[in-house]
Amino acid sequence: MAAASALAEEPGFTRALLARRSVLAALCVFLLILAAVLLATWIAPADPAAMAVRQRLSPPGTGYLLGSDPYGRDVFSRLLFAGRVSLTVGAGVAMIASVGGILIGLVAGYFPRLDAPASRIIDAMMAFPDILLAIALVAILGGSIANVIIALSIVYTPRIARTVRASTLVIRELPYVEAARALGSSTPFILIQHILRNILSPIIVQATFIFAYAMLAEAGLSFLGVGIDPSTPSWGTMINEGRQYVDQAPFLIFFPGIAIAASVLCLQLIGDGLRDALDPRIARQL
Amino acid sequence: MSLSFKWIVPAALAAAGLSGTAMPAFAETNLTVAIVGEPDTLDPMVSTKDVVSIVTQHFIETLYTFDASWDVAPLLATTLPKISADGTLYTIELRQGITFHDGSTMDSADVVASLNRWLTVATRGKSVASKIVSVTATGPYTIEIQLSEPYAPLLSLLAFSNSAAAVYPEEILGADTLTAVVGTGPYEVIAHVPDQYIQVGRFAGYVPRDEEPSGSAGRRAALADEIRFVPVPDANTRVEGLLSGQYDYADALPAESLARVTANTVAEPVILAPFGWPVWALNHKAGLMTNADIRRAVQAALPIDDMLYAAFGDDNFFMVDGPMYPEGWVWRNDAGVENYNQNSPAKAAEYLKAGGYDGTPLRILTSHQYEFHFKMAEVAKVALEAAGFKVQLDVVDWATLGQQRNDPALWDIYISHSPFLPEPALTDLYASTSRLGWSEPGKDAVWDKFTTTTDLAERQALFADLQRANFEDVGFIKIGGFNALMGQKTGLQGVTPSPWPNFWNATYQ
Amino acid sequence: MTRYILKRLVGMLVVVLIVLTIAFVIVRLAPGDPAALLLGPDATPEDAAELREKLGLNSPILVQYMAFLGNAVRGDLGNSLFFNRPVTEVLLARAEPTTFLALFSLLISLVIAVPIGIYAAYRRGSWLDQSAVSTAMLAASVPSFWTGLMFQRYLATEMGWFPASDYGGPDADFISRMGYLVLPSIVLGIVNSALILRFTRASMLDILGEDFVRTARSKGMSERRVVLRHALKNAAIPIITIIGLTFANLVSGAVVTERVFNLPGMGNLVVNAVLRRDYPVIQGTLIVVAVLYVLINLMVDLVYLLVDKRVRY
Repeated sequence: MAAASALAEEPGFTRALLARRSVLAALCVFLLILAAVLLATWIAPADPAAMAVRQRLSPPGTGYLLGSDPYGRDVFSRLLFAGRVSLTVGAGVAMIASVGGILIGLVAGYFPRLDAPASRIIDAMMAFPDILLAIALVAILGGSIANVIIALSIVYTPRIARTVRASTLVIRELPYVEAARALGSSTPFILIQHILRNILSPIIVQATFIFAYAMLAEAGLSFLGVGIDPSTPSWGTMINEGRQYVDQAPFLIFFPGIAIAASVLCLQLIGDGLRDALDPRIARQL
Repeated sequence: MSLSFKWIVPAALAAAGLSGTAMPAFAETNLTVAIVGEPDTLDPMVSTKDVVSIVTQHFIETLYTFDASWDVAPLLATTLPKISADGTLYTIELRQGITFHDGSTMDSADVVASLNRWLTVATRGKSVASKIVSVTATGPYTIEIQLSEPYAPLLSLLAFSNSAAAVYPEEILGADTLTAVVGTGPYEVIAHVPDQYIQVGRFAGYVPRDEEPSGSAGRRAALADEIRFVPVPDANTRVEGLLSGQYDYADALPAESLARVTANTVAEPVILAPFGWPVWALNHKAGLMTNADIRRAVQAALPIDDMLYAAFGDDNFFMVDGPMYPEGWVWRNDAGVENYNQNSPAKAAEYLKAGGYDGTPLRILTSHQYEFHFKMAEVAKVALEAAGFKVQLDVVDWATLGQQRNDPALWDIYISHSPFLPEPALTDLYASTSRLGWSEPGKDAVWDKFTTTTDLAERQALFADLQRANFEDVGFIKIGGFNALMGQKTGLQGVTPSPWPNFWNATYQ
Repeated sequence: MTRYILKRLVGMLVVVLIVLTIAFVIVRLAPGDPAALLLGPDATPEDAAELREKLGLNSPILVQYMAFLGNAVRGDLGNSLFFNRPVTEVLLARAEPTTFLALFSLLISLVIAVPIGIYAAYRRGSWLDQSAVSTAMLAASVPSFWTGLMFQRYLATEMGWFPASDYGGPDADFISRMGYLVLPSIVLGIVNSALILRFTRASMLDILGEDFVRTARSKGMSERRVVLRHALKNAAIPIITIIGLTFANLVSGAVVTERVFNLPGMGNLVVNAVLRRDYPVIQGTLIVVAVLYVLINLMVDLVYLLVDKRVRY
């Protein structure tokens, strides 16, 4: 999170961010989820893969904190390990899409010659609705964690690229960039030192939202049966697996549903908080 | 109908159309049947899919069919054929006055043309083609089939609705794919909107047989005016639709929904017991499973009880049962069953040692289209690993599995299932020519004798040998037996539970 | 202005060409043999090879690409391998539920979200604003299939207020078919209104921060009149944008919603096509949806020109 420290240089940023109680709460809850998931190996009461078929679908509290699944595996333990997968997909997509989006966006925005072709490709990619494109891509690549990350990164990269390009176009024309160019600064130096630094905040905000959307999209793909293969637990596949037991064991859908909704909600709140803290005009109005 | 009044206004209008299906008081009766997916063709000759059989049997007929006890019974033929003493010449008399949906009359020329097409395009037809010398019309309503040697499964093949020896008018044959679906059945196709419905209506020119209905045999009364087959790929949606009164019948429901379907007053459960058997098919052509000891290790390791319990979730829906046929079938025997359900990691480890297992991953090919396949694999994986196997679960979709299993380089085991078929020879896994390539001199000899012998007692003994060979050499692994759950609207009568349920005698009291 | 429109049109054609190329590349890379699938599980490899030849799946990729482009320009998106009919015909047969599902849910979400969004911005920071924003955020955080399943389970099956699934069958006339879309539209509308509410509120906040609004305010005009007189008029543009923006959102939502309610729309078609390895249908859906998106956004841009005289190009 080197970017965060860059942001924190802005006076009052942290205070602005944490001023809203909802954002503070979201940060706390998200960190809690993150910690639980990272420490799964130590927290989890059982091996998430251990089966006790005859104890299948035990309700929460009867020897299993959050019940057991159709194979008699501990739902709580699986929830923790599944969180790794879901959060990895979200974080992975947010990161890859940001890096890819920054590269494409900077190039398109800074080099007028490359702008037209790059923008047209971005436009064309954005014309495909996210789930639809992801379905087609995962269908080709096959349903593994890595492939779902790749597919969703391809889907979200143009979205970041578009933001980066727009900001770059504006900053490129600013006097100090002109000056740096006149003084003979190298292009990579200008791109990183003058442009990237200045557009980092909107990217971080957008990446936070993409983190959230990627988690939702992963759940959607798993629901449609074209996501991560079900022997790897993710919150999405857990819901998909629990669907057929909605009567006997509604908790199978309930807990992973809550986990997704809570994580996504926290991320959105954090994203909103970041945006408002970074945009003084709106923040002042609150 | 009462349900529909609770729907909000536009939905109530929508319901009015459908609810007619439930109202015996209405002059017109329409049945709506939820099936598991879109049939990719309406020509049962070129498909082996159960969903194709379920739909097409209402408008396409065969010379023979199966009655309730799975005996072959005549349909378009007048009676069972006259078979020559040496078992190679079948003389079949056809019913007269049978009209196709296009108005033409069925005669021997149509039947000969249809059977010849069956021998060229149908999977099951092709499997007997080499044994058939000729199919000829010897009169306007008589045909003869000349075989090169006796072939016991022939009648069953002619009766089967799956890769069916369907009878079409001679005029529409010729191309590989039929342009129109014209049969002789009690219903004819009115409309086919892919992924939405196949609408069939009573065929006015149908002349039913006189015998009492039994299975698919006997009188086909066409009681309902229309039947609509609606593809509903999602099992949960089928349950919801059945319980909200939208369907008169819903195929293949998850065992877990039994309690809900039972508790509801709108619908009632239909249990088909037994339905069939899950099978682990082993690759004898290439890879790990060419080693008999390693095959025996797999057989020894499988925890059958847990696999079936996880797969079907309810003790009433599966049988931990080794013999190839369930209690009450003529093919039932106990040969070799001591090898079934050993559930012994220790013994499996011994076999592995004897077989010189080197840690090569065991590739199990399965899909989650059929959830119980996947669940069996998931449970077995743990047990196989405990025995010392390295297991690689290749989860693909059902269609990809259908393709990949044709390439021996890609898999060691694939998971499938089959209904209990009335004639063991309809299951090709025994044959060394199948995609498994299971060939062992003793077994091959028994199999050849089994298909060419016609005496039942002798065939029963041969089948016992076959079953023993399968347990000892581990050709493929029958996991057990399972029941199927279907559901129908309360009060619907005249539908016999079957892997291929038919609706021509279905009605409300 | 004419030059601008021409430039936009040319740009659009280029985008469409790229869309076609992407769709072609994506689908050709797919594994799985459609010939083997079409023939069913018992087909021999020889049968499959024969069918592949017949379907032209064996010619060089570049030849396939050129043929594909030429056909696409003439509106021929190939034949569905599964249905054995032209893709355009297959897609058209699925257009009705998807179109009306999208229209109804857009309508529902606009009716819910635009007034609330404007009011929330106007009363920014108030109790109402905060609860509207949090509700919207919550609605956007819950997976839409979860909402769909719950509504189907409780409102349709248990309460019997709506049909649980399907699209009416052969007897249903247009009005009855629309009855089957009510519940799915509500589900999708709720999800979509979250996006619209946040967008409306944000645009409104932007406008309320603009100079001319501040001037009006400083002239002593009441806040209410500021909003009604100035802000609302200027909010028209962002709201038009929403329609272009949420189109993709609605289509993605429709895929999942159609699956839950077994609606025979384009979303359900494309998921089935993936399972059936029906390349031309996947490709056709991607193309049609993307081209629609491009067209809708072009229209949105043109409406800008008409509505907002301040926009100069």
